[in-house]
This record gives sequence, structure tokens and C-alpha cells, in this order.
Amino acid sequence: MLEVKLHDIGEGMTEGEIIHYLVKVGDTVKTDQPLVEVQTDKMVAELTSPCSGVIKEIIIEAGETVHVGTSLIYIEADDKSSKKEHVVQPKVEKVTLKQNVQPKNVLTTTSITSFNRVLAAPYTRKIAREHDINIEDVKASDPSGRVTEEDVYRFINRNQTSEQPEVVSNQNSVTTDSSNVTPDEIPFKGIRKKIAEKMTKSLFTIPHVTHFDEINMTNLFKLREEMKATGESVSVSAFLVKALVICLKDFPIFNAELDEENSRILLKKNYHIGMATNTESGLIVPVIHDADKKSIKDIHKDVKGLTERAISGKLQPFEMQNSTFTVSNVGPLGSTGATPIINYPETALIAFHKTKKQPIVNDQNEIVIGHIMTLSMAFDHRVADGATAVAFTNRLASLIEQPHKLMMEMI
Amino acid sequence: MVVGEITQQRNLIIIGGGPGGYSAAIRGAQLGLSVTLIEQANLGGVCLNKGCIPSKVFTHAASKRAEIFHVSNLGIGSGDDTFNLTKLLSYKDEVIRGLRLGVENLCKANKIEVIQGKATFLAVNKIGVENGHQFDIFEFDQVILATGSTPVMSKWVTDKGNRVLLPHEIFTLEETPEHLIVYGQDYIALEVASSFAAFGTKVTILFDQNTSQHFDESILKELNRLFKRRKITIYKDIQNITTKESDFSVKVSFKTNKDTDEVIEGSYLFVSGSRKPNLEPLGISRIGLHKSEAGFISVNEKMQSSIPSIYAIGDVTEGPSLAVKAIKQGKVVVESIAGFKPEVDLTFIPHVAHTIPPAVSVGLTEQMAKETGLNVRISQFSLAGNGYASISGKKDGFIKVISDADTEIINGIHMIGEGAVEMSGSFVQLLEMAAKEEDIKFPLYAHPGFSEGLLEAVEGLIGQAIHSAPDKKKDLQTV
Repeated sequence: MLEVKLHDIGEGMTEGEIIHYLVKVGDTVKTDQPLVEVQTDKMVAELTSPCSGVIKEIIIEAGETVHVGTSLIYIEADDKSSKKEHVVQPKVEKVTLKQNVQPKNVLTTTSITSFNRVLAAPYTRKIAREHDINIEDVKASDPSGRVTEEDVYRFINRNQTSEQPEVVSNQNSVTTDSSNVTPDEIPFKGIRKKIAEKMTKSLFTIPHVTHFDEINMTNLFKLREEMKATGESVSVSAFLVKALVICLKDFPIFNAELDEENSRILLKKNYHIGMATNTESGLIVPVIHDADKKSIKDIHKDVKGLTERAISGKLQPFEMQNSTFTVSNVGPLGSTGATPIINYPETALIAFHKTKKQPIVNDQNEIVIGHIMTLSMAFDHRVADGATAVAFTNRLASLIEQPHKLMMEMI
Repeated sequence: MVVGEITQQRNLIIIGGGPGGYSAAIRGAQLGLSVTLIEQANLGGVCLNKGCIPSKVFTHAASKRAEIFHVSNLGIGSGDDTFNLTKLLSYKDEVIRGLRLGVENLCKANKIEVIQGKATFLAVNKIGVENGHQFDIFEFDQVILATGSTPVMSKWVTDKGNRVLLPHEIFTLEETPEHLIVYGQDYIALEVASSFAAFGTKVTILFDQNTSQHFDESILKELNRLFKRRKITIYKDIQNITTKESDFSVKVSFKTNKDTDEVIEGSYLFVSGSRKPNLEPLGISRIGLHKSEAGFISVNEKMQSSIPSIYAIGDVTEGPSLAVKAIKQGKVVVESIAGFKPEVDLTFIPHVAHTIPPAVSVGLTEQMAKETGLNVRISQFSLAGNGYASISGKKDGFIKVISDADTEIINGIHMIGEGAVEMSGSFVQLLEMAAKEEDIKFPLYAHPGFSEGLLEAVEGLIGQAIHSAPDKKKDLQTV
């Protein structure tokens, strides 16, 4: 019998909420098959099975918040070669381990083989601590091993050679008044850290191209007004999503994922549209699943509900997963253009910017007031080329500019 | 018990108002934190009310009584050494009351909210505080557990009545025992033996085979010599100890190191026992707090437990059960919570016994130094060679310095003799500064004074102590 424990899946994670189990008692599971979804610091992680076998018992109920190291599931392993060591040590044991190896308890230990003291004055140690340096890493210039302030500063400078002049000039201020130079700190963890990781991965992996275009929203706005008059109020976003799904069906390359390992591009058959949402804790992307099977009204309802839950932090983990294409509707906030970063591993992302009233020339060569929205579409140049992207946004523009065309696409 | 429905919000709650807890509270207030301190009995904890302070009243009185004959030699008084325990007990209460009031006033002045009551965890971020019929619920951002420890009787004492005493009990005795048997050689046992002998009690000391790890062996040897001179009987390396208590005495049977069976009868038996962290009433098992094998709360270097919002300091954590550790940890934990980067390093914690004369060990002992494989240099300077020791009639004892011959860095300083406790302040500073021999030899020392003893002990490392006969074995070529 193998125990699956909640282990530390993120930086300094100590507890997690069991969102739901992806398996139930009696299920046969394979190695690395996801077993349970855990939410920590608003990031969601899946714990996978350490072996193949049968789920014997689910110990902790979904909805409970438990500490790292808590046993969650018992699995009866059927495979002798199962990775027993996968049962990850809980973090707390690391703490005790650290205590046991601490050289500082020398005085209370009976058998001493080495005397491990810090050869530096308390003030020198303080400087090291405040620079997050382990004083024992600092090489002493004194052959007896006594580390001085100068040694610590030399160590700091060597570790920041690129900023050497700045550090040298800081030196005096640090020694005279270290309290004034401390910047304010924002903990870099949880959702912020997750965003950083994702963005870095995306930008370092995908050669981004962004192309800009504008769409005349005048007719769509008119349509909305008419609908409103009949008591039906639908957001612009819902129309945009519907139009996008139609375009994605025409240009499946943008609803795709590059599987480099197996040298193939997967054209997805589901149309799950991610809606980048600004929340207090950062960017969250709730997903409208199977948007192709939903009416504009359904999409409108979805967008509304998802946004509300995202802002209040009440999204279920599955509501943030498996998007195939992402929309960033920054229009309500303002802006005319951007170079957005693709929601890896997707192929493209569209940002819709602010719609502004502009003089436009209509088909009768008259100058009239039009509602013009700009958009920025970022796409993966490994997968698609500029011409396809332009064709894609042209199609999108035509659907929005003549909203009756949307009717033709209704299933 | 009525469970109130209102949960009160607090930022930082400290459970336990002992030296660790109140130091944490005051430092927290100094750093601008809003602090709530919960204490079920008296502020000051075991240290102030039952431990350090009362015991030091006794050792102080004992050392004064031991001075009577010296004082009469100076022409003062007539050598009258009558001893009134009742008076000492009320003096002790007076000292405790004064100090406690001091702590209470400091808490008030620092605007610390002090709540009387017994705290229990209700959830990871919630405690209940019970005080009689009142039960309040507090939700906190952070909590520091500083509930201390309780002495536990050694297992071999199967029959514990009023005649077998633990540390917090002996200093409340209302009679001077006729014959006190003291078991153990930790600092508390040594202090008890030394003090009661000075009060005129017949004292017998039983040492088992576990030698003290804190003091340099030379100190224990010197103490033994002085104890014997004061007619204290010492049995070393005893085994198979058992006790039998009757209404007026306690019989202790054991096997001596000469393999003979011995039974001694005393009016009381003192046992230091071991210390158990006060965790059960807190209900920490309910919230899944990680404990070490020995039952202490596991903490990291920031005193943070396995639950990040819960911290622990002092006797509830691993390490020596000493107030000095709790006080330091108390300040450090709060500074750390406030965003600073402090550190606790117990390497040079001073081990002190207020015996007559007092003893201190800091850093490497001779035995430890030899085990490290360092090129050890050792010097022991007898206080008989110190002028001020002669003047004050305190010629017993010595200062011992251990250094590394290759680097001349001082690794340990030990002293038994008058003023050792105060001198230990210099010892810890020198060791923390990673002082070399020259760092001690260069400064000027008050003459005549005990501190000259430290200078001479260091000079003696290379055979250059002025007030010490040349040691033929010392290699003067190393100068």
C-alpha cells in the first residue's frame, strides 16, 4: 500500500486546499496519472500517482485544507517497479533535519568531532545576514579564518560584478545608515510568481509576432441597441468570442498547439476560449469551454459569471484550465495597442483595445462618425505566418462589421 | 464554560509571559507591532516566580553566609552566622514581587495588552482563552508559543511524596533540612548542594555516570574539592538508585562505584529531573503542529514552526532550558516577524552555576577541544595568584583559557571563582568577536582586580603569566 502525501509543489508552500479528486476508490490508475487537484495561494496543482494500481482509500475529503505532509490517498500498487520514493518528504521534516545538522548545538552534544563556530564579529555577521549571505561562504582574507567586514563587502561585490560601481558607492551608506536604504518589499510568490513563470516560459519559447488591425464596431453597437430595446442585453465580448470561434474554425492553425517533441502541430477540436481577467492578486484566465457549442447568450452568461468569480477568487480550478485560445479584452481599461504574450502553449492571443469614435469614410464616400476598435493579435511564428494572421483578423472584422453574417454561422 | 460567539481580531499574540514571552512582547511593541500577551499565572513565568530568581536569592544568601567569617576577620561583626529561613523566604517574595511589578509596569508602559487566562488552539489561526467562567476567542495573524516547561521527576523515583523535591519545590521549603541528599551534577543540583551546605545543612551528593556536558571537567573537579572541604559527602558513578519515602525521611539506596550497596537516609532528596515542554494544554496536536522526537516544537532558524503563522521560543523548543536562550529567541522572533534579519546562535551560551564560588563555562571545553583535532593550547591561571582575590578572601578557583595554537584564536573560557558570572560577560564578547590571544593581552586591566586573572590566563598560554610559577613543560620557543 502506498501513501500519497501532499508535498511541497510550490515555493514555500505549507498547506493546500483539496479541490477535488480526479479518481475515486476502486479506480485503476497509472503512474503519473493526475489524482487530485490542490489549490495553494490561488495556484492550482495536480498531484499525480506515484505508481500504477488501485485507489484503496481517499483519506482527506475534498474541500479540506491540509498541511504539507498529510496523507491524502492510499493506493494498492500492482507494479513492483513503482517509484516508492515518490512519496515526497513533508517540508516539516526538512526543518528538523536542518536542526539536527546544525553545528550550533555543539555544546549540547556529547560526541563532538568538529567545532563549528563562526569566526566573525557579530556586526560582521549582521552585514552578511542583511545581504542574505551565509557568513560561512565568505572567504577570510585573514589566514586564521577570521572574516572581517571588508571580506563580506568584497564577497557582495564579487557576486554583483555587473553592478560593481553602484555597490561600491552603496558601501558607505550601508555602513553608516543601513535602515534608510532598504526598499519596500512585495513578496514574490503565489499568483505573481506563477504569472512570471508562465510569461517567461512563453516569451522564451515562442517567437512572437504581433499584428495590429482595427474593426468598425458601429453596426454591432447598433444591433446591441436594437436588442436592448427588446429587452435583451448582451455584452460586446460575447459577440467577439462568438466571432472568434467562427474564425478559429476557418483558421484552425490558431486553435493549435505545437508539440515540438513529436514534431507535430495539434489542431484542437475543442474551442475553449480563455478570457484574461485583471484581479486584485493579478492576471487570471478563466475559460469559456466549448464556446463553439454555445449561443451568444450562453457565452454572455459565461463571461459574466467567470469574471465575477475570478475577481472574487472563487473560480474552480477546472474553470481555469484547457483554454485553446486566449482573449484579452483590455478595451474597458483603455489603450490602443499592445504586444501581448501568448498564453503558452497556445498559438495565438488577441487583445481588444478601446473603441473610440472616429471620423470614417463610408461606402457613399461620406465622412461619418464610426466606432473603431483596435486589436493586437500575437501569434507563434513557428506555427503560423503573417498572411494567415491577417486573413484571420480580416475574417473577424467582417463578421463584426456585418453582424448579420454571424447569423449565417449559427448551428 | 460559555463559548462566546464573537471572535476578536488580534495581530500578534504571545502565549506565555515568561522571560521569552515578555521580552518578545516588549520588543514587538518597540517595533510598532500591536501585541497581546496571554499568561495564565504570573508575568515573569517560571524564571521570575519559581526558577532563576528564587534560586538566586538562595545562592546569594548562601554566599553571604559563607562570607561571615571572612567579614569578621576584617574586623566587622562578631562572626554571628545565625540563619533565619523564614526571613529569607519573605525576602525572596519581596524580590519576586518587585521584579514582577517591574515587568507588569513595562508591559503597561509599552501598551501591551496582557490577558490573564489559559490559551487553547481552536484552529490554526484561532485560540480560546479561558479565565474562570469567561471564554474569549481570538483570531490572530501570528502567534508565538512561549509556554515554557515543567520539571518532571526522574523515572527511578517511583515513590514521590513531600520528601523528594524538584527545582520549583526546594526553594519554597519552610525548614532548613537537616540532611539533604542531592542527585545530579547539572547547575541546579550544584547550586542546591552548595547553598544548603552554606546554610548549615548536611549535604550528600550523588553523581551518576552521566557527567555534565556543559562545564569543563576542571571546574567540576575544583567544585568537588571545595565541596569536600565543606564536608559535603560525594558518591560518584553510582548505579541502581531507588528511593523509599517515609513521613520524616527519605531513604536512598544505590550501588557505589566500589560495587557495594549503600543506603543513606536524608530529610529530603533533591532531584533536578528533566523538563517537559508545556504543550498539552495548548492542544497543538489538534492543529497538526510538527514536534521533534523528544516532544519539542520543531522550529526553523526564524523560530517558525511547521505552520508558518505559528512561532515558538524558549523551553518549548529544542535546546537548553535556559532563560538566556528564551530571551534571545523572544527578541529575534519578533524582529524577524517585523521584517528584520536577526539570528540566534547558541554556540557561546554561557553555562553558569551560582555555587560558592560561582562557575562559568563558555565555548569549547578541554575535552571537546581535544576531540576536535585542533592544535589545542590550554592555560589555567589560579586565582591564588591574583591580588584582589587575596584581598577579598576568595582565593579559590581559576580561569582557564583554551585557544588554537595555529591561529591563536580563543575557543573556550572557563572560570570558577569570585566574580565568574560577571566576568562571563567578557568571555562571551571575546568569543563572539573571534578574539585572538593578543586581543586579550593588549588591553589594560584594572589593578588590582579579578579581570587581571583573564589576562594572566591568556599570557599563560605561552608560559608568560607573571603571577604563576614557570611551567617546565611549556615551550617558550613558540613566542
